Amino acid sequence: METSLAPRSLGRPGFTSDLRAFWAVVRREWTIFTRYPSWIIALFIWPLIFPMLYILTARALAGPDGSGLAIFMEITGASDFIGYIVIGTTVWMWQNIVLWDIGFALRNEQMRGTLESNWLSPTWKFSYLLGPTGPQIVSMSMFILVTALEFGLMFGVRLNGSVWMILLMMLAAIPSIYGLGFAFASLVITVKEANAFVFLVRGLVMIFCGITFPISLLPGWMQSIASWLPQTYLIHGMRAAAFSKAGLPELLPDLIPLLLFGAFWLVVGYSAFLWMERRARRTGAIGQY
Amino acid sequence: MSNFAIEARQLVKKFPARAGTGDKNGTPAPERKRRFFARKEPKTMFTAVNGVDLQIKRGEIFGLLGPNGAGKSTTIRMLCTLLEPTSGTAQVNGFDIVKQANDVRRSLGTVLAGERSIYWKLTGRENLEYFAALYHIPPAVTKKRVEELIERMEIKDRANELVEKYSTGMRQRIAIAKALLARPPILLLDEPTLGLDPQAARRVRELVAELKREGHTILLTTHYMEEADQLSDRIGIIDTGKVIALDTPEGLKRRIDQQEVIRLELTGWHEEIADKLKSIAGIEHITTRQQGEADLWEVSLHAQNSRAALPRIVEHISGNGTRLVNMNVVKPSLEDVFIHLTGKALRD
Repeated sequence: METSLAPRSLGRPGFTSDLRAFWAVVRREWTIFTRYPSWIIALFIWPLIFPMLYILTARALAGPDGSGLAIFMEITGASDFIGYIVIGTTVWMWQNIVLWDIGFALRNEQMRGTLESNWLSPTWKFSYLLGPTGPQIVSMSMFILVTALEFGLMFGVRLNGSVWMILLMMLAAIPSIYGLGFAFASLVITVKEANAFVFLVRGLVMIFCGITFPISLLPGWMQSIASWLPQTYLIHGMRAAAFSKAGLPELLPDLIPLLLFGAFWLVVGYSAFLWMERRARRTGAIGQY
Repeated sequence: MSNFAIEARQLVKKFPARAGTGDKNGTPAPERKRRFFARKEPKTMFTAVNGVDLQIKRGEIFGLLGPNGAGKSTTIRMLCTLLEPTSGTAQVNGFDIVKQANDVRRSLGTVLAGERSIYWKLTGRENLEYFAALYHIPPAVTKKRVEELIERMEIKDRANELVEKYSTGMRQRIAIAKALLARPPILLLDEPTLGLDPQAARRVRELVAELKREGHTILLTTHYMEEADQLSDRIGIIDTGKVIALDTPEGLKRRIDQQEVIRLELTGWHEEIADKLKSIAGIEHITTRQQGEADLWEVSLHAQNSRAALPRIVEHISGNGTRLVNMNVVKPSLEDVFIHLTGKALRD
């Protein structure tokens, strides 16, 4: 018997080891992200392009004297129509980018060929999905900051309310936006292709959450659907914080549903991941392209 | 602790067969539950692994050979916990592959076929540090261990370059270093020399031999018979999901030592000649391989009595545009054993 000759494993399992593994995933993701320099161009161009589409349309529709804009601001209660549009489109872009980045995080690893070698390690598997979330939040924060700077400097958008309240709303939205991304990631590994689902979700947000108009303009049944989408509360709350000087008590009707949706989507996202992990071991889905 | 590093009993893996695959091993799956009030038709299942039994001793190199689709990779994927068996059991380092999957992962270093198991946008060193964290190696040990492996894999000068700039051989060395990081007692090497140039492949084979001397148990799959012959203590031949022979390389060769192998080199080969040769009494198997682009073919015939068969072979291949270039009678190699057992060449 040659057992005494066998090497002894250097691995030391435990919570801190899993935590270090999670941090290694975060660092890996950030390092790879910074090694594709095209993100810098995207960071400065994208925040402008999408809102500009709506801003220019609004200007064209407002008439030569701009009277339409006054009516629009009266209906929406916003002091700045550009700021009003920018908040809606930014939330839309945030959800859209998360669906592509987080929703396709595992799929991208799979196509790169590295998912199996990660999966072979004894670490907590959810780290592979949770890890990329950190760098994604950092890059998204930069995206939102650039949006604010570009529209502040180039279009003179000014906030009446508190930046802290806007940040609070965004913080409260993180669980629901990323929870949906986690659920997506598991779906994508299972069905391999989920572009249609991304288009569906971002289409729903675009139509039902009022990214460029108040949802009070929607028919009743559409407003009912809007009330089941967390982005509705985020957009409404951010606009209230930015332009109506809403404080914490006024924001609670948006904050509470947002947090409840967040809890719901985190549970759905994690459950979907566990389901996918079990299914992948039965079907070999991790290694299939 | 068991004497066996890996022990598998009656491992079976079935997958739902894809439409139009025409799977001959297909069997109907158990009927599924009713969903949405509609009775679904039972799916046809494809059996990739069909009752594999393996007992790999500690410290040995075990070669698993089989043609494409024989079930080698599925067996490896079950042993390294990427796949759950449909039935049967297996223990790796004494741990059950289903119930103690994380203990199994901690006991294993796995190199899967292909060179894309590492990050091309990270350096060699960054890759190793990253995987060291995933394998729960304490930070105090990581630096020393990574340095040790960089030295051993002879990539010290280029350890800080991005992997995308490495040659295929260097990438494979990083993949092997990754598998060795946690110093696991058991290594699963799936086609470790596939796609490497002869020099790089030789270096990997030397490394595998060194690892055995250090006490690692190694399960190796390969397409290269000479490699399996040279490295393996024992070899299992797998075909259509079953281990059809298991012995030492010499033991396997002895199985057909009453046979002789006639190797022909000829031009103008066509299938009609194969039919004629098969009709000669005592000829058991015929395999052909085209030599490069030219119309030069190597034909191997397994014969019970080459002296009796040779005149008839020459008679059958004469004329019809076929020209015999070379002919000799050789002792059976491991590849000939494989052909004898499976009826096909390993590259088929």
